[in-house]
Amino acid sequence: MTITFDPSVRDFLAGRIWLRLHTPFPTETIDAHIASEHIKTIQGIQSTKAFASQPQHFCNRCENDTQSRFTTFDCAKCEAPCTYCRHCLKMGRVSTCTELIVWNAAPPTYPTDHIIAWQGTLTPRQQQASEELTISTTKRIPHLIHAVCGSGKTEILFEPIHKLLTEGKRVCIAAPRVDVILELEPRLRAAFPQTAIEALYGGSESTTESAPQLILATTHQLYRFRHAFDAIFVDEADAFPYTAEETLRRAVRKAAKLDAPVHFVTATPSDKLLTDIKRTGQVSTIDRRYHGHPLPVPRCDTLWNYTKQIQKGKLPKKLANWTAERLKRQEPFLIFFHHIGLMEQAEPLFQQLDARIHAVHASHPDRKEHVQALRDKEVPGLLTTTILERGITIQNVQVAVVGAEQLIFNKGALIQIGGRVGRSAQHPTGDFVLFHHGITYAMDEAKKEIIQLNKGSVRT
Amino acid sequence: MNNCLLCETPIAQIPSWKALLALQKQTEICQDCSKEFQRADIKEEDPFLDQITSLYTYNEAMREYLHQYKFLQDVALASVFANELRVHLKGNETIVPIPMHPEKRIQRTFAHVDELLKSARIPFTPLLEKTGTEAMGEKSRAERIAMESLFKVKPGTAIQPGTYILVDDIYTTGTTLRHAATVLKEAGATRVEAVTLIRAEQ
Repeated sequence: MTITFDPSVRDFLAGRIWLRLHTPFPTETIDAHIASEHIKTIQGIQSTKAFASQPQHFCNRCENDTQSRFTTFDCAKCEAPCTYCRHCLKMGRVSTCTELIVWNAAPPTYPTDHIIAWQGTLTPRQQQASEELTISTTKRIPHLIHAVCGSGKTEILFEPIHKLLTEGKRVCIAAPRVDVILELEPRLRAAFPQTAIEALYGGSESTTESAPQLILATTHQLYRFRHAFDAIFVDEADAFPYTAEETLRRAVRKAAKLDAPVHFVTATPSDKLLTDIKRTGQVSTIDRRYHGHPLPVPRCDTLWNYTKQIQKGKLPKKLANWTAERLKRQEPFLIFFHHIGLMEQAEPLFQQLDARIHAVHASHPDRKEHVQALRDKEVPGLLTTTILERGITIQNVQVAVVGAEQLIFNKGALIQIGGRVGRSAQHPTGDFVLFHHGITYAMDEAKKEIIQLNKGSVRT
Repeated sequence: MNNCLLCETPIAQIPSWKALLALQKQTEICQDCSKEFQRADIKEEDPFLDQITSLYTYNEAMREYLHQYKFLQDVALASVFANELRVHLKGNETIVPIPMHPEKRIQRTFAHVDELLKSARIPFTPLLEKTGTEAMGEKSRAERIAMESLFKVKPGTAIQPGTYILVDDIYTTGTTLRHAATVLKEAGATRVEAVTLIRAEQ
């Protein structure tokens, strides 16, 4: 093909699967590229009709095939019954008469000169895991880094990522939670100052300036990629909703090139992930934090009928004392709740102790600001749902779980929550208390696993 | 067992004789989501309209609902208020949806008022036609009130004397409904009422 094309269109679209009508480029530009076959169009929803049965729909963007997530209506645009996918609706509706576009010509060549500006040194265990990960990447087999909270998982990735980048390859770090991406972005920008990095999450600004070679994205954003990456690292691979949603796992697979490996990084791998990886790939285990101190072991404390007390407008005494103690010692704290409603009822009760205490949850408008305020020591502590259970580091933070017997606090969640405590070398310990209305197996198992990890005997 | 159209959680169904005999209306949204919508139940008269009924207030939940329905084009949401609309529109009057401009309709791929009625299985007669493409939402109050006729009766249709009920999604200043009512009355309607899903604060 000798017809010229616009390199900025190529840089933007390479590896992506996008709505034809929602690109950052003028319609004429896109039309011209389609005419010259630089861009290929794909029908949004594919419907296959089997004999004497309902048509089966398939969304070509998010690969959703759950039939209840499709709706058919009389479309005024295509003047026929038209089906759209409700699963990825929020990214712009994809329907039968919507066209998706993909780059259909040679991909851009990515630069090979990248520097690592990270100055730290890896512990021998980190170093070993890092090397093992590099070997797996070269062999193109999946690799699981099973490392306890606060063992420096991100730093383990730097070497293998750098190697890929210098080979001119395209890399993605994906995580199910936007908080994790927000925390990773500045660290990676600092570590790879010369690399074109783009962070993608719901509400992020999209740029068309340069071809991003290293992409940080929430797993949801990977719906919009297709055969793009030479390696994907899924951080916090066991977090909701990644484990619960089949389409997210498919999205990650689809975003990787056909023979590219998908690696996982987590402190609490599910049994399924462990067995899957052991069958097809490699596992590296790190059971010590980077500062060498043991993980904080949770202590259980009863908080009978806390729901009723809070609903009556009374803060349970033990909880009030615990909070007052933290305020007195000026230690930042996080208090986890299982339910947003209960947490919001408790918020004014805590504010009687200190007016700066706030509650945050997934759809809270000031969530980012409040978490930052806690880091900056502007607020003494936060009430939170499980959204802050992972990925965040706050110096000397003390943690309490209210209602640790609730189902949402499974073994993995409790281990992650405990992992917030004692992450820095200056403050390697801290209080991790489970306030409960009865002890569950999950609480026992979490405690048992933490003790085992501290002994150095981990299940692999 | 169906999932809530708004938050996707499964709707808990309490077994009852009514449900077993299929007498209970199927709900499309869960208890928690329906609690977010606030009833207005305004009934009032107006110099141009013999009666205006509005069902809900325009709160945050309703704003999100309209956004997802009209701008994200989630047609499935048309059925959320089907049961409530049916209560108010079960008489023998002729039901006339406020029309959309054909170009606008193609752009959105569906006419939102028509879909509300269709999903509630309420028979309606499209008697009106829009004359311009301007959207009400982009105009100031003064501009709206000063506008020329917005609608005309569809060519070739005769308006019989009788009661007509106009249906629209939202009532803000009432200009749209007044224009439509005037056109219908001039063409021979004896009584024109209106039902809107939402009543916005002015």
